[in-house]
Amino acid sequence: MPVSVGSYGQQAQPSCFDRVKMGFMMGFAVGMAAGAMFGTFSCLRIGMRGRELMGGVGKTMMQSGGTFGTFMAIGMGIRC
Amino acid sequence: MEEYAREPCPWRIVDDCGGAFTMGAIGGGVFQTVKGFRNAPVGVRHRLRGSANAVRVRAPQIGGSFAVWGGLFSTIDCGLVRLRGKEDPWNSITSGAMTGAILAARSGPLAMVGSAMMGGILLALIEGFGILLTRYTAQQFQNSSPIVEDPKQLPPKEEARGYGQYQ
Repeated sequence: MPVSVGSYGQQAQPSCFDRVKMGFMMGFAVGMAAGAMFGTFSCLRIGMRGRELMGGVGKTMMQSGGTFGTFMAIGMGIRC
Repeated sequence: MEEYAREPCPWRIVDDCGGAFTMGAIGGGVFQTVKGFRNAPVGVRHRLRGSANAVRVRAPQIGGSFAVWGGLFSTIDCGLVRLRGKEDPWNSITSGAMTGAILAARSGPLAMVGSAMMGGILLALIEGFGILLTRYTAQQFQNSSPIVEDPKQLPPKEEARGYGQYQ
């Protein structure tokens, strides 16, 4: 992802592993944020409140983050 | 996805469609491996066969869904670039919303609105994190400038030598 600057010889293109890692991190962040929004909506509609709501939203965030992170990591990997 | 060099507009549609299919098929294969393994009857051979079967059947379907989404998204994106004459995050967000709406058309207008909102929000998050990431990498470059200042460490060494001579 980072652009390689020609003037710095040391700034080589990041390795495939670094790109996959960056993709996963970014996907995980996006997935967590999306999970927080949609999860809150879903759990509130079911009628969760208080600690139960926190647990439900947290679970949705982790699931969404993991799934999204995996797919974006693969997306970065196939473009190395 | 916005961070890598993308092809010019007509060919981007093909590129994104293929990339989305590959991503969906591989990712789907990973998840279906686990799901098939768990759903199979007890026994190592049964479970391995369950994994292989689930991947063989389901991965192409998941890849196909991703390809449809990616292809339609790119088509609308290129259309907007042509119409508006500029390329910015709003194109992606609008394309995400419209793609979600179109693919939910069979479920009725209400589902279309819901899917459009979900698509738009998701693309907005992706664009937002992409922009944050760009700033982060920019700061990384600024932080790397101390490496250039390494040669300036020579004067202190000379001073140290002078101090030694003084002793």
